[in-house]
Amino acid sequence: MSATHAPSDVILGRRQLFMLPTRFGLLFALLLVVQLLTAINYGNGLAYALTFLLGSLAVVSMLYTHRNLFRLRLAAGICAPVFAGEAAVFRIHLTNDSDTPRFGVTVMRDKKEIAGVDIPARGSADVELPVPATIRGRLAIPPVTVTTRFPLGLLYSWSRRVALEQSCLVYPRPADPTPRQTREQETLEPTHGLKAGGDDYIGTREFRPGDSPHHVDWKAVARGEGWHIKQFGGGYQPTVWLDWDTLPGLDTETRLSVLTRWVLDAERAGVLYGLRLPEKSFAPANGEHHQHECLRALALFGLKP
Amino acid sequence: MSTALHDRRVLHSLLVAGTCAVVPHALELPLWVIAVFAIGAAWRYACEAFQWYRPGRLVRLALMLLVVVAVFRQYHTLLGRDPGIALLITLLGLKFLELKTLRDFVVSLFVFYLVILGSFLYSQSLWLGAWALIAVLACTAALMHLIQPAGLNMSQRLRLSGVMLAKALPLMVIVYLLFPRISGTLWGLPEDAHGGLTGMPDMMQPGSIRNLSESSEVAFRVSFDGTPPPLRDLYWRGLVLADTDGHGWSRAPARAAKQVSFVPLADPVRYNVTMEPSNKPWMLALDLPAIQPKDARYQADFTLEHREPIRERLNYSLTSYTRYNTGALEASEREPALRLPMNLSPRVRALAEQWRRENGTPLPIAQAALDYFRRESFFYTLSPPLLGDNPVDDFLFTTRRGFCEHFAAAFVTLMRAAGIPSRVIVGYLGGELNTAGNYLIVRQSDAHAWAEIWTAERGWVRVDPTGAVAPERIELGLEAVRRLEQQGIGLGSLPADAVRRAMELGWFEYVARHARWYWDLTNMTWYRWVVDYGKERQERFLASLGLDDISWSRLTGLLFVGALLVTLVYAFLLLRPKKSVDPAQALYLRFCHRLARAGMVRAPHEGAINFAQRCARRRPDLKNRMEAITERYVRVRYGEQTGADELRTLKREVTVFRA
Repeated sequence: MSATHAPSDVILGRRQLFMLPTRFGLLFALLLVVQLLTAINYGNGLAYALTFLLGSLAVVSMLYTHRNLFRLRLAAGICAPVFAGEAAVFRIHLTNDSDTPRFGVTVMRDKKEIAGVDIPARGSADVELPVPATIRGRLAIPPVTVTTRFPLGLLYSWSRRVALEQSCLVYPRPADPTPRQTREQETLEPTHGLKAGGDDYIGTREFRPGDSPHHVDWKAVARGEGWHIKQFGGGYQPTVWLDWDTLPGLDTETRLSVLTRWVLDAERAGVLYGLRLPEKSFAPANGEHHQHECLRALALFGLKP
Repeated sequence: MSTALHDRRVLHSLLVAGTCAVVPHALELPLWVIAVFAIGAAWRYACEAFQWYRPGRLVRLALMLLVVVAVFRQYHTLLGRDPGIALLITLLGLKFLELKTLRDFVVSLFVFYLVILGSFLYSQSLWLGAWALIAVLACTAALMHLIQPAGLNMSQRLRLSGVMLAKALPLMVIVYLLFPRISGTLWGLPEDAHGGLTGMPDMMQPGSIRNLSESSEVAFRVSFDGTPPPLRDLYWRGLVLADTDGHGWSRAPARAAKQVSFVPLADPVRYNVTMEPSNKPWMLALDLPAIQPKDARYQADFTLEHREPIRERLNYSLTSYTRYNTGALEASEREPALRLPMNLSPRVRALAEQWRRENGTPLPIAQAALDYFRRESFFYTLSPPLLGDNPVDDFLFTTRRGFCEHFAAAFVTLMRAAGIPSRVIVGYLGGELNTAGNYLIVRQSDAHAWAEIWTAERGWVRVDPTGAVAPERIELGLEAVRRLEQQGIGLGSLPADAVRRAMELGWFEYVARHARWYWDLTNMTWYRWVVDYGKERQERFLASLGLDDISWSRLTGLLFVGALLVTLVYAFLLLRPKKSVDPAQALYLRFCHRLARAGMVRAPHEGAINFAQRCARRRPDLKNRMEAITERYVRVRYGEQTGADELRTLKREVTVFRA
């Protein structure tokens, strides 16, 4: 984590913006020189007028190019967690608080163009910024630059590199399927003596095709939280412990990868699973939220909070 | 930068812009040059629209060589204004066939701007200026289209370009007025730079002034300090022609006056003349000018000669006296003023001899000649018959129909034969008073020739033999003569009221004349500030601001300060924060602020409805009120046709809301 505080949104001010002529701008300047020499040589009033009109147009276009980025608001949107090896997709919000639309705003990262957008007056536009996530932990959003050549392409304006406060959680890369180790004192025996298919509500899991519509959590659907299946206590539902200590002799990252794989497998198998790490443990449960908490703990294992 | 452009509409913008830029040249350049451009543009259009054959590089190269050779054959050179512009336009036409990358398009567009400037080298009329503004607008909108191919439609591009150009105009005016002008040129102008100027010839052949009378082009304009003198005194002296070969008249070798030497006998007339370029050095002055303007030489024959041919409008102020006595005549002037042509016929000589015997002194002899013209059925006509080898003899004894030049030449020949020093003066007579701008317009058709005889008592005396046969020409002007002639009314002895009746204008002519005058005034203003705004006018303009004798460097400094000030004003206007937040949005932000204090912060990406749902889950107790506010906000802000009632309700709801 860097020592400087990265803001969650940034408004581009005068000091954050720079401007230089483009190659077309320099060519335009050459055109003006040729025109001025012609005007002087022929003593031609209209030629002077045209030359100065085009020169003034270039000056006005400078103001328009600056305005195209001035007071543009950048903010980072949420970024869904990814596994190491995948690409984290950051979302950058460009908000235009002014009454004039902004055209041809390009978001760049390390001199590479990410996307160009037009932002309507008092509106906003989103730009997706895919970043390869190589290691687990928190991946900070890389600094970006916004640039523009609008309206006449004679001038190029760009912003200072903007570092926003947003990061993406990167889960460890799941290991190849590995047989789960168990400790002696643990069993796969049911912990509760209840009948399978009993009617104790024990939680929800994601809807899968083939599930009975009777068990759909309709209230959650109505709340817009997605499709979930109510799960009812099954005494036969197996409980497993995914334990750090069952993987001796492996380095930390490999252990985390293996545990990640186990978490995914357990969740898919629909069993109750607990996770035991050296400093933390999670009681057996399942469901999307539980899975996320476990993976999060694995992702941030050994890192400063 | 080097990416290919695939949008066909961008090409259309470019074609329109190019056509706007090239159209004015159709009036000046050979038709084939315009045709090459048009064919190139149409061909490329067909390539895009109908997948026509598009020539490869070799074919294009061959076409280019062909065009260069064609331009060379047309002008026998590739340098100078005409061949340069012809090359530019034809090559632009061929360039259409190879346009591919953004760079190609932009370069072509910049050359269009150059082509627009090229059209000013032929004409600087108000019309062309107005058209050029349209062409610049089209080019600028096309440039915007190239840079931003999507997002804006055509009318938005035109509007934004128009707004930007409108903002550029005040800046342009400052730079235009203050940019230091030089007189003369940086390098020699090509020889074709000054074609097609009309002006008084420096010779008078039978028919040369008559040719001018066909032209309604303006020769010069005059504004008087105070009331203008009567029309019959408006003799604009141009050239003095003292040498004759019996056929035409020409100038005697020029001699500069040692000093202005005549005795004024009337009040001075002060006036300012704006001469159209004539490519001749003569500066017209009211008979007789008393002072010598800058850059002019005062000749011994009381004419003014500019130090170089007048190639751009020339403005000068003068003082003249319409009554004068020029005093004695030097021998060196007397001798050429008496020289007779070799082909002087015996009957002309006999006629002059007879008058000399009968009258004795110059003025009665001259009067005898004028009486002779009046008595012997001479006619003033705008369409005189052709004259033979001895025009004076032919005119006096055979045709007896002539224009002012015939009368002047015959009169001077007769006077010389009678031993009186005399000479022909050519210039202009009269003019049309433009009451819209209170100045006199003198046209080429007002060109006139008259005579001067020298008498011991009064010096050089002006005698206008045309006045003896057609006083209407003197009193009413050439336009009146034309009208009377069209109505079949003979000249010379009409009662005054008959003439007045014939001269009355119908309402249409009256309106047309005033419209013409206002148009001339507009043009005059245009010329004063655009075409003629050179070093001298700039000095006068700066002097009127109290900046006499400002140095070049200080003027440049002033220019930059002025331009910077305008730019800063624009920057302030364009970049100032907008206070006018939408009222509904302001209320909603207040609502969000209250929720934030209660720990519910709206994320930047979160829509209003999603945010309300999230809050409702957290605070079910406020659910109804939060939803009501959010729904109303969305309706007022984004919905159609919501009244002020909704906004008022929203305000009340937000004001009482507590989280």
